[in-house]
Amino acid sequence: MSDLLLEAKGVGKHFGGVHAVEDVSLRVHAGSINAIIGPNGAGKTTFFNTLSGFYFPDAGHVSFIGVDVTRAPSYDRVRMGMGRTFQTSSVFPELTVYENLAVGIQSADNLSFRFRTLSRAQRATLDQKVDRLLGFVGLGAVAHRPLAELAHGSQRLCEIAMSLSTDPKLVLLDEPMAGLAQAETSRVVSVIRKLHAELGLTVLFVEHNMRVVLSLAQQITVLDRGRVLAAGTPAEISANAEVREAYIGKEVIEHV
Amino acid sequence: MKSIGIWGWVATAILFVLLLLAPQLAPRLHLALTICTDVLLFAIAAMAVNLLLGYTGVLPFGNAAFFGLGAYGAGLSIQNFHVGFITSLAIGTLAGVVGALLIGPFLLRRRGIYFALLMIAFGQVFYFIAYRFTNVTGGEDGMNFTRPALEGFGIHLQDAGFYYAILLIFTLVVAGFWLLVRSPFGRTLVAIKQNEVRARYLGLNTDRFIFVALLISAAIEGLAGACYGLSIMFAYPLLLDWHQSGDIVLMTILGGAGTIFGPLVGAIIYVIGEDILSTALPWWQIPLGALFVACVLGFPKGLLGTALDLLPGRKNRIEPGHDLDFAAPIIADRETTR
Repeated sequence: MSDLLLEAKGVGKHFGGVHAVEDVSLRVHAGSINAIIGPNGAGKTTFFNTLSGFYFPDAGHVSFIGVDVTRAPSYDRVRMGMGRTFQTSSVFPELTVYENLAVGIQSADNLSFRFRTLSRAQRATLDQKVDRLLGFVGLGAVAHRPLAELAHGSQRLCEIAMSLSTDPKLVLLDEPMAGLAQAETSRVVSVIRKLHAELGLTVLFVEHNMRVVLSLAQQITVLDRGRVLAAGTPAEISANAEVREAYIGKEVIEHV
Repeated sequence: MKSIGIWGWVATAILFVLLLLAPQLAPRLHLALTICTDVLLFAIAAMAVNLLLGYTGVLPFGNAAFFGLGAYGAGLSIQNFHVGFITSLAIGTLAGVVGALLIGPFLLRRRGIYFALLMIAFGQVFYFIAYRFTNVTGGEDGMNFTRPALEGFGIHLQDAGFYYAILLIFTLVVAGFWLLVRSPFGRTLVAIKQNEVRARYLGLNTDRFIFVALLISAAIEGLAGACYGLSIMFAYPLLLDWHQSGDIVLMTILGGAGTIFGPLVGAIIYVIGEDILSTALPWWQIPLGALFVACVLGFPKGLLGTALDLLPGRKNRIEPGHDLDFAAPIIADRETTR
């Protein structure tokens, strides 16, 4: 298999007496699409948050491109090439789509600490980069509308574009389909496929929608009550009796 | 950010013509020129608050610490080193920055209401220092000093001359502020105000941005305080007090946090309102307080922010000062780091 991009070893996180995540390990290889699934309260999002630096784990280690980032602040991980989205879209609601993307692009280009307006050339480069991201997620028509005025699905697409604006190697998507209508879901699925196929990015996502997971992911990790229940390819996971009993309804798998 | 358009420039031009004519207009309105000077001074101070409150999303409830440090910085340097007009202002500005350098690292550990409370507490430290160090600051009685001559010209600016000097400083601060909030740095501050977690996940060390915003704000506040010291030729501990902070925050919110000229509007209403009402009513603060409550409840964008929304074609205008989030969440990774 190709290079190891992200590795979690024996990660644990508890809140007071509640062990949200215990001894979870995961390996994400460059160029792959990976999913984390599990029932509600399985610790998916908590685990995800230890990977992205939103929480620091109480036990275990996280390394990214060979560097131990267990206790690295989120912004350092982003600068190393990790982008993420949140379960409830996290954007700048009163800024336009263009400005939302510009914040990240300027951050990656080390222009955020500039106290004067951009030069003509810098402005042209920024426009070009924003246009490319807008085209990628198909939001060109609403570039100058504030995010708060847009539909939920468009906000989600903008958030995915924002996670790309910092030029990542790995994109972490926390329930990218949550709360989306059917048409919006298929649009987001096609964008995730394009992330992988066109940009060659590595993707790790948390998802409830089993159909999406089985059709999109190459590697799946199943969490249950804070622990890894199973890990493997979609075929292996579908065939795993333990997983079938613990989490996945039989009929769902037969449908796929 | 939407551009202000042709009418915005026309309104700005009219405003500055009025400010230029103030020494002629004020007597006809039965206003002392010193009141006009005070309006500009407090407008500068409120702009410093506006940078943090309206554009960065932190609550500078102890801002008068920097204002008072500016006044004392100017006063002490005049009294002890006989510096000139511009130098005393520069030292006052620097005093504000030094104050922010000292307390900033502590303030940055918290956000929202906790930031505000910490800042009030640190501000009171400066108040008690000024109050207690009687042999340096004159303690409760304050310290008198004279307004020094302008370097290079040897003239003492008085009355209209002093007013125009303050107007020049005000204009420079407005121009600098206008450029700053349009720069990538300024837009990044607005992004941090709206969603600090997202800003961190765009690779931005938000602490660093807020710290620099605090330093810039403290410089402006120190400059305003130094100007005020030179205006009244006096510095006293209450200038550092949290009541003073509250007055400046009130002007900012009244006029409209997150707008360029909101602080000026707030300062006009507050300073002139105080001047007129305080001679007529012993309880003059009550109507001002009522106006403030009405503002926070009914027009959270302040008078100017609300007025701008009412202009035709501005229906969808969304400005950074839209909401005053008094209990912004504290960043999660900060909680586990420290």
